[in-house]
Amino acid sequence: MMKSLKRLQEAIWPRFHRNDDEHLSPYYTFQDYRQTWGMTIFILMATALVPLVIMTLIYYQLIETSINTESLLRTERLASNARRAVTFFLEERLDALTFTVNEMGYDRLTNPGRLSEVLRNLKLGFGGLTDLSVIADTGTQVTYAGPFNLEGKDYSNQPWFLECQQHNACVSETFSGYRDVPHMVVAVKSVRADGRFFVLRATLETERLIQALSSYKTGEHADIFLVNREGLLQTPSQFYEGESHHMNIPLPAYADRTKAEMSVDKNGQPILIGYAFIDTNIAPTSFILMVVKQKAGMMKVWLDLRSHINWFFGVSAVIIAMVITLTSTVMVNKIFQADRQKAETMVAAERNSQLASIGQLAAGVAHEINNPLALINETAGYVKDLFTIKQQYKDDPDLVEHIDSIIDAVDRCGTITRQLLGFSRHFDVQTQPIDLKDMVADVINFHKKEAEYRDIKIHVDIPETIPLIETDRGKLQQIILNLVNNAFQAIANGCFLDIRAEMDGPEQVCLFIQDNGCGISEDHLNKVFEPFFTTKKEGQGTGLGLSITYGLVQKLHGNITVQSKTDQGTTFVVTLPVHIQKEILS
Amino acid sequence: MKHYDLLIVDDEQRYADMLAKRLGLRHLNCKVCYDGRTAIEIIEGEPFPVVILDLRLPDIYGTEVLTRIKQCRPETAVIILTGHGTEKDREQCMAHGAHSFINKPLDIDRLIAMVALIKEGAS
Repeated sequence: MMKSLKRLQEAIWPRFHRNDDEHLSPYYTFQDYRQTWGMTIFILMATALVPLVIMTLIYYQLIETSINTESLLRTERLASNARRAVTFFLEERLDALTFTVNEMGYDRLTNPGRLSEVLRNLKLGFGGLTDLSVIADTGTQVTYAGPFNLEGKDYSNQPWFLECQQHNACVSETFSGYRDVPHMVVAVKSVRADGRFFVLRATLETERLIQALSSYKTGEHADIFLVNREGLLQTPSQFYEGESHHMNIPLPAYADRTKAEMSVDKNGQPILIGYAFIDTNIAPTSFILMVVKQKAGMMKVWLDLRSHINWFFGVSAVIIAMVITLTSTVMVNKIFQADRQKAETMVAAERNSQLASIGQLAAGVAHEINNPLALINETAGYVKDLFTIKQQYKDDPDLVEHIDSIIDAVDRCGTITRQLLGFSRHFDVQTQPIDLKDMVADVINFHKKEAEYRDIKIHVDIPETIPLIETDRGKLQQIILNLVNNAFQAIANGCFLDIRAEMDGPEQVCLFIQDNGCGISEDHLNKVFEPFFTTKKEGQGTGLGLSITYGLVQKLHGNITVQSKTDQGTTFVVTLPVHIQKEILS
Repeated sequence: MKHYDLLIVDDEQRYADMLAKRLGLRHLNCKVCYDGRTAIEIIEGEPFPVVILDLRLPDIYGTEVLTRIKQCRPETAVIILTGHGTEKDREQCMAHGAHSFINKPLDIDRLIAMVALIKEGAS
């Protein structure tokens, strides 16, 4: 559980650099893998998501523009149809009055019986007529047919009468009148035989007009009504009636044809207004037809769809982000691992070249001092010979002791020069199958006495499954011997030495040589394979043992690593190939 | 004519002389020369049971001298004594018939033991 949580955390927030690889930093191609990782994710996300967002926004814009255009067209069409209906309603009644005055003339129309008959016929034909009256050019009502007795009433100052006088016909605005029933007046002018004019006036109930208009209403958020040019409502409005019967939306500018436009209502909600200024062929009117629709209502289907698209988009974006993050993490991690491996190789190569150059120097030094050393050896030997073989100096033991110390010193120099030469010598590797278990047993045999004497427990665990290793016997023996020697020097009496082996894949064997001795401090751990590095007292160690071991392991195409903690012990791990590649050897 | 047990060939004159003296103290008569050509001439002139031969000589390389000695006197045991001997040198010398290959500085007792063995074998 914890492991999978850790793996998930690594996938989301990977750790690149670790504390123990600071020495690799100069060799990394990218110094800041965290930044590289972040940039990769950012660029991929931007590449994937920005066009998607832009395309979605463009799509939204196009759809909304198209819906707006379509809505405006539909509203305009609706307004246009309604305008035709209203115009037809008024023209039909004006035509009927014109026909009546022309057909019957002033004399017949002023006969009350005849006028009542005409009213009855008109009611039968159109309905919605309240009364009919004939008004003389003075403005006085001459004859009246209808429910009220209004004969003799003077209309000379009424606006509709004045307009009728001017335009030969008129349509009044709606008004409630004495009866408080909304109605309107239509009137036509005609000329009598004596040249004077008279007016035939009809009162219309607006109910018919309201019914005609409401049949054009579509949708629950639509409203259709008439206003005059001051915005006063002429027919009732369901949603837009404001104070003193005025509509509460802005009055549109005059246009000679039907138009539609966007606007906002008193709450700031967007609305579509279709409108037409109504004029008949016979008389002008002050009516403006208004078709008002709430935009939200018209957009509802699209808004629902957009909400679904937004959800889909959101979920897709999250999936894309996750895939990009995981893919980037895996890829950048792989690059990091490869870079780390390269850096490790570079460090190893640098160490090798360092060793090689030190080796060359050492070889040069060794060659130069070896001959004089040999001469010292022979000269000192000769002096000693004189003392021991020729009897005349035998009673002078002090001199012999001095000579011995010369020879000892030369011996020590000889050891160093031999080891120095070991760096540069190109010993050919001669391979033969080696049983690791036997070899370790042989090496342990060298130390058997010392182990018994110092009470050091040696535990060897080399399983039978370890195959024969094809390698150089002498070098492998030297490697194991050096490491065991090293361990014996590091451990106190009564400690243990553990030697074990295991397979690392089918082609590599790992040999672990572990002690519980004094350990190596962290500062020294990186330097143990460097030549002449020693923590031993002067004269006790040359500092060449481990670096020679390192060189030998390299020659066998293996690898050696060390893990250690102060006062807890040290483990050397030698990894060797089961089969050494012959072509590399040459 | 003086009988010699050994011929020492080494370009380091003082070394060769000192070695000759030390061996002389151990009752081994040594003749000394300091280059390859002289060594070949000496060998051609008289037989030596043992030759101690350095590899780095001023005129001819030691292995060449070794080959000539073995051609001329196959019974002569040639001990290579060198300060710069590599494993390759060792193999090459052994292939050319050297008796043994010793690195400087020398352990005189080991040499004496070796010469004694050679002489025993010869007799």
